[in-house]
Amino acid sequence: MPHAILAAMIVAAPRTLTDALNSAPSARKFIISYGDGGECETVTFGEFRQRSRVQAALLSDRGITAGERVIIIMPQGIPAMTAFAGAMMLGAVPAFLAYPNFKVEPAKYRFGLQGVTTNLSARLVMIDEPFPGDMLEYIALNETSQVVRVGNSAGPSEVEFAEPGINPDSLAFLQHSAGTTGLQKGVALTHGAVLRQVQALAHALMIDGSSDRVYSWLPLYHDMGLIACFMLPLVCHMPVVMQSPLDWVMHPDTMLRAISEHRCTLSWLPNFAFQFVARRGSPEEWSQFDLSSMRAFINCSEPVRAASMDEFYDAFHSNGLSGEAMQSSYAMAENVFAVTQSGISGRTQPARVRASAKTFRAQHRVVPVNEEASDVMTFVSSGSLLPGYEVRIVSESGAELDPGYVGEILIKSDCLFDGYYNRPDLTQRVLVDGWYHSGDLGFFLEDELYVVGRKKDLLIVGGENIYPQDLEEIASAHPAIHDGRALAMGLYDPDLGTEAVLLVAEVERPELLENAGAIESEIRSQVVAATGVSIRKIFLKPPKWIVKSTAGKPARSTTQDKLLQEHPELQGERTGL
Amino acid sequence: MTTQVEQMIEYVAGMVRNPKLTIDETTPLVSSGLIDSMALAELLSKLEDVTGLRIPPGKVQPKDMNTVALMFATAQRVGRPRS
Repeated sequence: MPHAILAAMIVAAPRTLTDALNSAPSARKFIISYGDGGECETVTFGEFRQRSRVQAALLSDRGITAGERVIIIMPQGIPAMTAFAGAMMLGAVPAFLAYPNFKVEPAKYRFGLQGVTTNLSARLVMIDEPFPGDMLEYIALNETSQVVRVGNSAGPSEVEFAEPGINPDSLAFLQHSAGTTGLQKGVALTHGAVLRQVQALAHALMIDGSSDRVYSWLPLYHDMGLIACFMLPLVCHMPVVMQSPLDWVMHPDTMLRAISEHRCTLSWLPNFAFQFVARRGSPEEWSQFDLSSMRAFINCSEPVRAASMDEFYDAFHSNGLSGEAMQSSYAMAENVFAVTQSGISGRTQPARVRASAKTFRAQHRVVPVNEEASDVMTFVSSGSLLPGYEVRIVSESGAELDPGYVGEILIKSDCLFDGYYNRPDLTQRVLVDGWYHSGDLGFFLEDELYVVGRKKDLLIVGGENIYPQDLEEIASAHPAIHDGRALAMGLYDPDLGTEAVLLVAEVERPELLENAGAIESEIRSQVVAATGVSIRKIFLKPPKWIVKSTAGKPARSTTQDKLLQEHPELQGERTGL
Repeated sequence: MTTQVEQMIEYVAGMVRNPKLTIDETTPLVSSGLIDSMALAELLSKLEDVTGLRIPPGKVQPKDMNTVALMFATAQRVGRPRS
């Protein structure tokens, strides 16, 4: 970074996120937002500030004061973002929740909405005019809380509200980690923590707000969308071009068009998106797009897959995409966002290591192999630690492991969260002596971190976290299935760039297997109704087929091995150990 | 059956990839777990191609896409001519 810019950042260092917004140049574009009809709305920092002040005044009129939670359930766009910033201006603590949409099963959405609103006990819940009325009863309210439908009216131009006197240690907002039961984990973050993270990341990426521009379709209730594509631009005074996740998923080429038209430079994406975009269209349709402005497409998934990155690069290098733009990061809500970022330590691309698959599986150890070796796994690094951050890789017993050995990733930094809002029980499980126990498995090699999977049994499908226990419980409840004898597992599907969900279950009596087709479709529809998860394949097995652990519980890993042996057609790649 | 409906059924059958299953206009797809959310987005965009309409995804719920018949009803209800 040029010294002048670095110096300017230090001199102007804001104390809070609202300070950062207040010091932004008024005339600079902030948000360029595409609606689902392709229409585009743009606000400058000055206009955004003004509209946020109007929202702050409206909230203040409704009696909202510093420290109170404000839940925002609105479609992706400028009104939702000004409501969020307005709440912060008052010192209130906003949280974005997902808006209902065609990709989420209503039953699952209602369950999440009820859980999370109960936990936050918000004073105010802001929804938009079209928010479905039948969902309202699932918003948990207490005597003092209220639901407000936010109209499109611009509001008064002169606004008054008391400045709350917030400081760096005040709570800024809550961000939620995705997933079925995970929905109730609201990560509480202070202004200081968010600023420290954003400034470290801006430094690592050499961001210059006057020339950089973010492209994003990421949902704002998720850390990638909220931090990288809202808070980072807000603090760095950098424009962001955005559209809704739904528009992107239906028309992935709109991402290429937006980047091309607005000369965007930075974008964060989950792993599956790289393959998804590359497969939805053809070089002829893409020929008009120019991606040469992009400094970095940052793959923010665990793990980063070499094949997904390569497929994207191969599809778009003739559109001016530079190989150096293919980058990676390891990020999580509990650390505000990024722990590592590639491209910092002088490397142009994240390092890759080809290692023996046998040693990896048998010894949980990564041993690099030469070109001729067979049975090889390729790992892509998530980059180096941001300055001052610490990571330890530990074994099951908590012993620190040497480079190349796979263990749980523990993190310490100056921007770790204080805890899950209102959930000290969940907090104390993962935050021990100042170290955050991520539940992710990885290894260190030559000062770069590689994430290989998860310690906790979590399935990740299309970027969404799914707890296998939720699916197993439903399958177990089926009368033909032996209670407690069902296992859900994820098998990485290289074709999709994400996991496919498989379920193995034991029937009560062998003769029930004659009815397998009917039982399978009943389980399938019960699972989808409750969780929204579509199971790729169900394997019904005779009693006692599932391998049990010494404690009498189904042994996940051994059963999965048995299944793969019996069904060699499942040519997938296991993600856990 | 119109060609549009046939096209859509053929597309759905290709997604489900289960030769034992016969898909018609009224086969439940979402509530039966036959197709998942990623596939829904693809279906919606196929529906746009088949009908020649622009369908705002924000106005569509999973139940609106449960059968091929419902998909066409949804396209009629919220679809707009392409600009």
